[in-house]
Order: sequence, then structure tokens, then C-alpha cells
Amino acid sequence: MVKLDDIKKECKSILEEGKVKYIVGYKRNNNYYMSIPAFIEKIEETDQLIWDPTCVYNLVRFLRDEKLRKERQKTPDTRPIGVIVKGCDSRAINVLLQEKFIKRENVYIIGVACEKSGVIEKKKLRKKFNEKNIKQIEFGKDNNFIITTEKGKTTISAEEILAERCIECNNNTPVIYDVLLGEKVERSLSEHFRSLEKFESISTEEKWNFWKKELDKCIRCYACRSVCPMCYCDECIADSISLAVKPDTTAEEKAQKIRWVEKSPVSSENFSYHLIRALHLAGRCIDCGECERVCPVDIPLRYLNKKMEKEASEQFGYTAGLDPEKPALVSDFKDDDPQDFII
Amino acid sequence: MEEKFEPKIIAFLCKWCSSAGSDLAGVSRMKYPPNVVPITVMCSGSISPNYILSAFKDGADGVLVSGCHPGDCHYIKGNYYARRRITLVKELLEFIGIEPERFQMSWVSAAEGAKYTEIIKDFVKELEPLGPQNKLRSNL
Ligand code: SF4
Ligand code: SF4
Ligand code: FES
Repeated sequence: MVKLDDIKKECKSILEEGKVKYIVGYKRNNNYYMSIPAFIEKIEETDQLIWDPTCVYNLVRFLRDEKLRKERQKTPDTRPIGVIVKGCDSRAINVLLQEKFIKRENVYIIGVACEKSGVIEKKKLRKKFNEKNIKQIEFGKDNNFIITTEKGKTTISAEEILAERCIECNNNTPVIYDVLLGEKVERSLSEHFRSLEKFESISTEEKWNFWKKELDKCIRCYACRSVCPMCYCDECIADSISLAVKPDTTAEEKAQKIRWVEKSPVSSENFSYHLIRALHLAGRCIDCGECERVCPVDIPLRYLNKKMEKEASEQFGYTAGLDPEKPALVSDFKDDDPQDFII
Repeated sequence: MEEKFEPKIIAFLCKWCSSAGSDLAGVSRMKYPPNVVPITVMCSGSISPNYILSAFKDGADGVLVSGCHPGDCHYIKGNYYARRRITLVKELLEFIGIEPERFQMSWVSAAEGAKYTEIIKDFVKELEPLGPQNKLRSNL
């Protein structure tokens, strides 16, 4: 089991040596059982750090914010920032490196292995417990979680409240790191694409009805985009600004200001937004599940990305974030890529 | 009398092969249904998924992407990249419940005017029973 003390020790030592500017990790959210991101700058603050099954967030997102901040500063502190990552999060770093969005020397990676478990899914937890009574959730022995409520401690099998993505995960140890805490444990709790199975047996119309119902709920708050470590485009296609067409507006200006997606949260535009987003995440999404977690109207966004992940893997043998030196999924091809569907 | 449904097809044709192929069909006076609106692009590799989605949004009943045969692309590799990208678009459209018949890809060389006419004929035939495409059509 990963010891919290080891994480703290590592963080203390890199802060002491001045190796990093600050560390992004997890801390407790006051009396609430969930964690929140922690920004640790001073050695004494490392005591706030925690490591438990509520460390759900993908902190790699903050590398983007750091990059933007640095670009604005005249004399930026060029030291790397430390970031605590799980297996899935570490692959997000690999994608950012592959796309040359960040440099390896910009980040000090503290990898923490998920070993036999993973992180919780609040929706599953709520079905089993009254959230208000929960004081704390901890890793137990083997793959158990220990839940502390007012009435005492209960041990349950992790699988009962594990996030779906963790159950399907087959890469639960960080693949890139400066230091790795915990052990590499091979484990697979289920088929990697288990959640997609239910779509295989349903008809086209049933699929459509499912997605129509789900995507019509979208209020286009863009929380999914804001939380995504891969959504770093300077100008998102969903934000196309309107162009005032004047007599002297050239054809070229018009061509460059095409509004592919309108802002109104109506069916067709919601579909545009989500299809484009899924396609833009194909071969890049590492299934950290953050988009689905933050969606205020509970749209199962993971399925869209998972579908792309499945096709990338089955048709092109590609998995996102394994090797930053290899070309990206859509920047590459093989002579014998499948083409049965082409007339 | 009820009017017969005439499907509208948007065809993205690469300039060097497929568009030339469609031209050949024209100058050879081969007959094919007038349901298709061809749009010439420089290469099948230049077709962004946005083009395809907006065609559906603007009311296309079917969309065709056509390029040079593998190995023949004017830009050497464009159609190989297109093949991967279009595979993903196709899988995603089917996944959300768009009829697979509505989105097709083909290789048509500059000499294959006859193949082009066949593709369009078959496409129209496949689209007719499906009726108009309203799923992705703009609600605005
Ligand atoms: S998806 Fe895998 S690596 Fe990520 S938290 Fe779950 S078990 Fe760990
Ligand atoms: S978070 Fe949910 S509601 Fe907000 S834009 Fe994304 S899918 Fe739509
Ligand atoms: S020029 Fe025809 S596919 Fe590239």
C-alpha cells in the first residue's frame, strides 16, 4: 500500500532542495470527506497532503494554467512544478509531451500507483451511503475501502464504489515519473471496454434515442471542457465569434470565421459540440473521467471518448499516452489500416 | 399525390482523382441521379470532420468522401490520413445512432467515371428508404 508518509517525505525533500516551484497534490476539503487540489509551496504545508480513494481529480490540468501564467510573466521562475499523478493522469502528461505543449523539464512527476484499487465514484457511493454521514474513506487491505461514518468504520470491497473507469483500467501504474511510489500491480477487474458492451446489442434507433435524450440535457456550461487536461486550444471551435460582415469584409475573413457550432444549447448544436469534442479527443483522451464527473446534468460523456479509444485500439493498435515519442493517432497511418468500409 | 423523396447527397471529392472522375462521367455523358452536390477539395486528407458534420447539419441526407486510391494521392499520403480520420467519424456517427448508410467513403480515380456513377446510383438507392435525415439537421 502507498504510504502517505512516503508522499510527504518526497514532497518535503524536493521543496527543501528547491527543485520545484510548488507541488500540486490533494488535501482534505475541511470536514468534507472528499479531497480538493492542494497547492503546496512551503515545507510545513506538506502536512496537509492526503492520499485516499477520494483523490479523483486529474491534476495535470494545472500544467496548462501554469504554462499560461508563465507566458504572462516577464521574469518567470523557470523551475518545474511538482504534480502528483495516478496511472491515468500520467498518460495525460505523456500526451501533452507528445504534442509538445509542455516540456519534460517543466514538470516533476510524483507517480503514485493505484495498486489493487483506484478512486471512488460519488454516484455509486451515494446509492449505498448517506453522504452526510461519511467522515472519511481510506484504502484498506487488499482491494477494500474503509468508510468511517458517525457509527464507526465499515469495510467494503472497493469494486462496489470504484469509478467505472477504474474497474475497466488496465494501466494503473504511472508510465512516466521522476519518482514512483507504491508498487506496480497487474490487475484487471473487468474487460477494458466493458461499459460499451451495452451499445453493441441495441439498434440504431435505440442508440439515437439514448444520445438524443442525454445530449439534449446539455446546457453548454463547458465544465467538461474546462476540466479536461487535453482541452488547451487557444481558440475552441465551440467559441467561434460572430463576424460583423461589412462591405469591405473579404471572402477570406469570412472563410476564417466560420461558425461550426452555434452557442445555443439546442439539439443540433449540442451534437456538433460533443461530436467534435469526441473526435478531437480521439487518441488523446486517457479516460481520467473528469468530464463526466463535473457534468452538472450527468451526461455519460465517457462513452463517447471510450468509443474512440476502442476504435483506436482495435483498428489501429493505438493507446493514448503510452509513448510521447511516437506520432499521434491521426498524425500517422499504416499501409494496411483497415478499409473494408471504403467502396 | 405524394412527392417522391429525393435524397440530397453532399460529395467531397478530391481535385486530382475523384473530382476528375466525376468530370469524366459528365463529359462521357454517363447518366447518374442529379441528387448529388459535389464539392471539390484539394485532397481527401484536407477534409475536416467539421465539413461532414456541417453538411449533415445543413440538411444533407447522405455524405460521401472520395479520394484517390491508396498510393495515388497527389500529396502522397493525404488519403492514408483521411482513411484513419474518416474511420473514426464513421464509427462515431454509427455509435450515436446515425444510419451507417448515410456516410460513405470511396476511392475513385480520374479514369473511373463509371465507378463514380455506380456509387452515386447505389447511394441514392440506399438513402431512399431511410427518408430525410433530421437527426443532425440544424434546429436554429
Ligand atoms: S483509472 Fe486506473 S490509474 Fe486512473 S485512478 Fe483508476 S485505477 Fe488508477
Ligand atoms: S459539462 Fe455537461 S452540461 Fe456542461 S457543457 Fe459539458 S456536457 Fe454540457
Ligand atoms: S489528392 Fe486525391 S486523395 Fe489526396
